[in-house]
Amino acid sequence: MSYFKKLTMGVAIGAMLAAGAAQAETVRFWYHFDNPENPMADLVAKFETANPGITIEAENVPWNSYYDTLYTSLVGGNAPDAAMVKLFAQPRLVEMGALEPIGERIDAWPAKADLLDNLLELNKAQDGQHYYLPIQYVALYLYYRADLFEQAGLKPPATCDEFRDAAIKLTKAPDTYGFGLRGGKGGWDQWGAFVLSQGAELKPGGLTSDKAVAANQWLIDLFQKDKVIPPSAPNDGFQEITGAFKSGKTAMTIHHIGSSNDMVKALGDKVSAVPVPECGGGHWTSYGDESLAVFSASEAKDAAWKWISFLAEGENNVAFNKATGQMTVTQSGAANWKLHERRFVDATVNSLPFAKVLPQNTATSEFVNTAWQINMQQALTGQITSKQMMEQLEGLFAQ
Amino acid sequence: MSTVVTPRQPSVVIAPALSTRLMPYALLAPAFLVTLFIVFFPMAQAIYTSFFDLILWKPNASRFVGFGNYIKLFNDPVFWTALGHTAVWIGLTVPLQMGLGLITALLLNREFPWRGLARALIIIPWALPSVVIALMWRWIYDPNTGVLNDILLHLSIIQTAVPWLADPDLALYAIIATLTWQGFPFFAVMILAGLQGIPRSQYEAASIDGASAWRQFRHITLPGIAPVLGTAGLLRVIWVANSMDVIFVMTGGGPGYATHTLPLYAFVRARQNLDFGYGTAIAVTFTLLLGVVVAVYLMRTMREVER
Repeated sequence: MSYFKKLTMGVAIGAMLAAGAAQAETVRFWYHFDNPENPMADLVAKFETANPGITIEAENVPWNSYYDTLYTSLVGGNAPDAAMVKLFAQPRLVEMGALEPIGERIDAWPAKADLLDNLLELNKAQDGQHYYLPIQYVALYLYYRADLFEQAGLKPPATCDEFRDAAIKLTKAPDTYGFGLRGGKGGWDQWGAFVLSQGAELKPGGLTSDKAVAANQWLIDLFQKDKVIPPSAPNDGFQEITGAFKSGKTAMTIHHIGSSNDMVKALGDKVSAVPVPECGGGHWTSYGDESLAVFSASEAKDAAWKWISFLAEGENNVAFNKATGQMTVTQSGAANWKLHERRFVDATVNSLPFAKVLPQNTATSEFVNTAWQINMQQALTGQITSKQMMEQLEGLFAQ
Repeated sequence: MSTVVTPRQPSVVIAPALSTRLMPYALLAPAFLVTLFIVFFPMAQAIYTSFFDLILWKPNASRFVGFGNYIKLFNDPVFWTALGHTAVWIGLTVPLQMGLGLITALLLNREFPWRGLARALIIIPWALPSVVIALMWRWIYDPNTGVLNDILLHLSIIQTAVPWLADPDLALYAIIATLTWQGFPFFAVMILAGLQGIPRSQYEAASIDGASAWRQFRHITLPGIAPVLGTAGLLRVIWVANSMDVIFVMTGGGPGYATHTLPLYAFVRARQNLDFGYGTAIAVTFTLLLGVVVAVYLMRTMREVER
């Protein structure tokens, strides 16, 4: 009977469609945005429209425990398919066998040519493989209060000596301090500008040289003797240093372009930026990288790659960086950049020639996660000396 | 003559059906199994893990080290620092919470207008999530923008802002103050319940006999609430000893090791350094130490059950 035939065919087609839908792949993706109004939902919707059959489950994981959560979920077998990752974590992730090589996929990817020069090279792992696809970058620079500098007849500091001099002149304790140092978690990148610039290196014998210990002592003295850093510094994190700068408590601090829109909102034209000072003839600032990676345990690698490469393409990458407040990795996006005021973009670009990443080795994770902070806090509060601090830190890299 | 007829005891006791006898066990089984699975199984696994050199990101380098982690632990100066801080942490927080709770309960036990409202409001610190409390107090203590320094400066009690959480000599006490504030309502509510169980007539009798307010407090009130104080105090020791969320959010254990307590140290080692072997060794050691308090609590509870 034709009616029955139609009906069975309809049922069969329906069943096939349902089966097709059930086969639809889900990509679990972890990211971390500080910005509460994040446009990830728009990007997900755009991707899902363009790629029917792939569902993206994007989860904003809090930054403070991002890597703890990532490592434990990788070991526990409950890791996402893809995630935002930084270079310092790459050696550990490689050692865990957690990353999927994506070199061939990158080579076959049409948007590869649109990536900024040198980024892929910078992201290469020690074993020569590509696991990371760059998604955004920043370089740390020095924020300063242009109005206070002008009133005091000072120029933005280009060297450590000028920096200290300006900090002393701008300190009117307890109302204002010259420099807002981040002594709590994540402050190693500020520390690097003063200590790693002067020849200190994260390797055996690299931290306990007289020059490195003296450079570290110089920074500690800014806090203990010159008193140009607020007394709260040992416990200060990102919220505290940006809060103090915005409220006028500090005249200088070091952070990246990600906070510039907030700074402008609070201070308008009174805030500007220059590259971090050159110290003892050396120049170092932290290159803040962020990449995307696919995990080797994923069962949806193709779909995961589609999603991460989608985020690294031209306008999608610009939309992504709108949320994070950082810089696009694409040439097409950078050509027409309107997300930040020009002076902060200039300070970032001018910092790139001496912007570096920490050495890729497994001890670096511990240095970044806990060791730097504990030792810096002890040194700042006088519980250990500069030399003891550097010996402790070097101990990590001795193994 | 009359014969007293004693009812004859049945010589055979008919045993209840097997299913009836098994019923209590069957009813308890789900709770027992869940506890076994989510409490005892992880505990056993933690003890097992503590005998291994297990660093999570080096899964292939894991090896059995016997008591190696424990030997390392007793030679670790941070362990002894953390143990000292844990003792101060418990030794100050619990008595302070209890004292403040007692005063609050005595006040709330009096007749005054809006008493119901006051009783409801007092519970707020206890009802707030720890993380919210920690963040709130972090900002209160902030030397640059915090309200505490602002008030003290205005009252000329201090001359310059005090870095409460950044000073290694003050940080632990600043957090203890926070936890005291958070935990005292628990004592207040428990003690209040105890106070209301003391019969009015005892106070009336005492005042007829001319007992002063202090003597009434010492000889009627205190004995009346002693069981509550004992049970609540022991419970609180266990909770406070284990609680690390407030410390973690406020200072992360810093500056340096100034606010490291044992549970926090175990957490940092296991979760942030991913050194699970050593982290669990700390946790197991601490569990054994705390086990003494737990044993006292269990003995008390058992006695009360038997009574």
